[in-house]
Amino acid sequence: MRGDLTMQDGARASTGPASASAPDTAHVTVENLTFDYGGDKPAVDGLNLGIRRGEFLGLLGPSGCGKTTTLRMVAGLIAPTSGRILVGGDDIVARPPWERNLGLVFQSYALFPHMSVAQNVAFGLRLRKLGRTEVADRVQEALRTVRLDGLGDRKPAQLSGGQQQRVAIARAIVIRPDILLLDEPLSNLDARLRDEMRFELRDIQMRTGITTLFVTHDQQEALTLCDRIAVMNGGKLEQVGTPEEIYDRPGSRFVSHFIGRANGFDCRVTGSGAAARLELNGRALPHAADLPPGPDVTAVLRPHAVELCTPDEGILQGVVHRRAFMGNALEIEVELEGGQMIFAELRPGGPGDDSARPGRAVGLTWRPEAIRVFPA
Amino acid sequence: MQSLLPKLGRLYVIAVFAFIFLPLILVLLISFSTDDYLNFPPHGWGLRYYHEVLGNANFMAGIRNSAIIAAIVMVLSLAFGLPAAYALTRLNFAGRDFLRSFVLAPLILPTIVLGLGILMIFTQLHLTATYPGLVLAHLVMTLPFTVRILQTTLGNLGTEVEQAAMTLGARPLQTFRYITLPRLVPGLVAAGAISAILSFDEVVLSLFIVGPRLTTLPVAIYRYVDERTDPMVAVLAVLLIAVSLGIVLIVERSVGFARAFGR
Repeated sequence: MRGDLTMQDGARASTGPASASAPDTAHVTVENLTFDYGGDKPAVDGLNLGIRRGEFLGLLGPSGCGKTTTLRMVAGLIAPTSGRILVGGDDIVARPPWERNLGLVFQSYALFPHMSVAQNVAFGLRLRKLGRTEVADRVQEALRTVRLDGLGDRKPAQLSGGQQQRVAIARAIVIRPDILLLDEPLSNLDARLRDEMRFELRDIQMRTGITTLFVTHDQQEALTLCDRIAVMNGGKLEQVGTPEEIYDRPGSRFVSHFIGRANGFDCRVTGSGAAARLELNGRALPHAADLPPGPDVTAVLRPHAVELCTPDEGILQGVVHRRAFMGNALEIEVELEGGQMIFAELRPGGPGDDSARPGRAVGLTWRPEAIRVFPA
Repeated sequence: MQSLLPKLGRLYVIAVFAFIFLPLILVLLISFSTDDYLNFPPHGWGLRYYHEVLGNANFMAGIRNSAIIAAIVMVLSLAFGLPAAYALTRLNFAGRDFLRSFVLAPLILPTIVLGLGILMIFTQLHLTATYPGLVLAHLVMTLPFTVRILQTTLGNLGTEVEQAAMTLGARPLQTFRYITLPRLVPGLVAAGAISAILSFDEVVLSLFIVGPRLTTLPVAIYRYVDERTDPMVAVLAVLLIAVSLGIVLIVERSVGFARAFGR
């Protein structure tokens, strides 16, 4: 692209932050969004989701859960089968991508290989017919934001993976998009760079205040980065909440197993009302949660909530099968009488450490509120 | 044993190239002969037949016609081939997959059959021995290659970069102009070069269509060899080789051969 580039009025000029709406209303609202390409079941199935203004929302789920399809529908790259996508109250579903004023960072970065770094970043601004000096100023500013100042003349191929990613981010934020869409932006980076970029990404988002939808399959990324996480599975939303809520109070069996590690027990609910009991192989398990209608349910317990004690003090009894020292934690695998394995995470040198030797008979206990119960 | 195999491999490759290039070298040497007939080694060396070619109005007209036709064929080949390749790679329509596998099919037909068919149609349309007639006939040969090469180039480009441009505000035509087209340059150069070379060297199809009013260089050479055998043919052969080689060099210099023809 050259300096004499002239464009039609295809791109809407960026208007900066839209007129202030009530702070508690969602900036982006996805209503009943469905994408059905004629497979066994819809890739996205009646999704409802709100993103608040300036929020960094993670869309988390295993591959094939529909998270990327959702992002592509928001970007306008594919058309939903049904449903609405509201940005600031306007339904944008009928708008082509070039009229949505979005910033999209691809997993592959998708830089323009035949343009320099500065030309890449300037592309969206030139389409918006901004003056030469304003384009130059804003490109400079964006490159500074991603700490690439001085590399504007390079071609993308001359940059490292991390630098290419920064160019992609700069190119997306320089147009002051209404929404920033990040499609697994960190997964092509090596582990060390990924950790570094993770926080830098969040830092940039905080400084620019752009409402962000971040698609990832990596729970660690989602937990450390996001204001809130929306967990998707099989095209449907499983749970939306802060990282703490998602981790400590998973709303479904899927979420409890997908985020962090969890021990699952196949239990039965007997009795009803106040007399309802949670039973594992005929044994009552103490719990604080409301029991779902049974009879078959799954009780879930985080490894770090499990404590080791003497066999007669324990709620359950078993034999230590394996002991793994992880540095800041001690991972104990206990085999229950029925053969099921339970993971316990202890503090090295803390309570239970001594008794946690392979072959030793131990008891397992936990606080009643640590257990979560879901329909099987 | 382990070092023997690579050595044998090298010898074999050298043998293959010798088989291809030795006749060309022979032709090059004979082109400097001053004999009255084809003979090796020649009795005298000189530029006698180069002068004769330059003084031969028939050959000079052939060179001019071939060059003009090749240039037009190249341009039209790209102009018609690019939209076809784009449709075959980027658009969804009924029968696309069938058409995709059908692109190279015209090349399977014996050229002589094609030529006969073209002749029958062109006679009715009074297109024989005209520039449009020759150009159209050559396009039959060059379009499949052009479409195929550009199809591969477009396929390798993928669509994400274009999508990125669209999210940044580029309309489809702007996306094509500023993103897709510049990235297609290597493919365009390759397809253009192939088209020009094919057109410049084409004999069989041209034979059906040329006439006393308009002839091409390869046909002129063919006719000449039919009647006489003197070192003039070698000079003309060298000329043909030089033109093809020149085009290849232009490709190599502008985008690099490997890049132009993709993976």
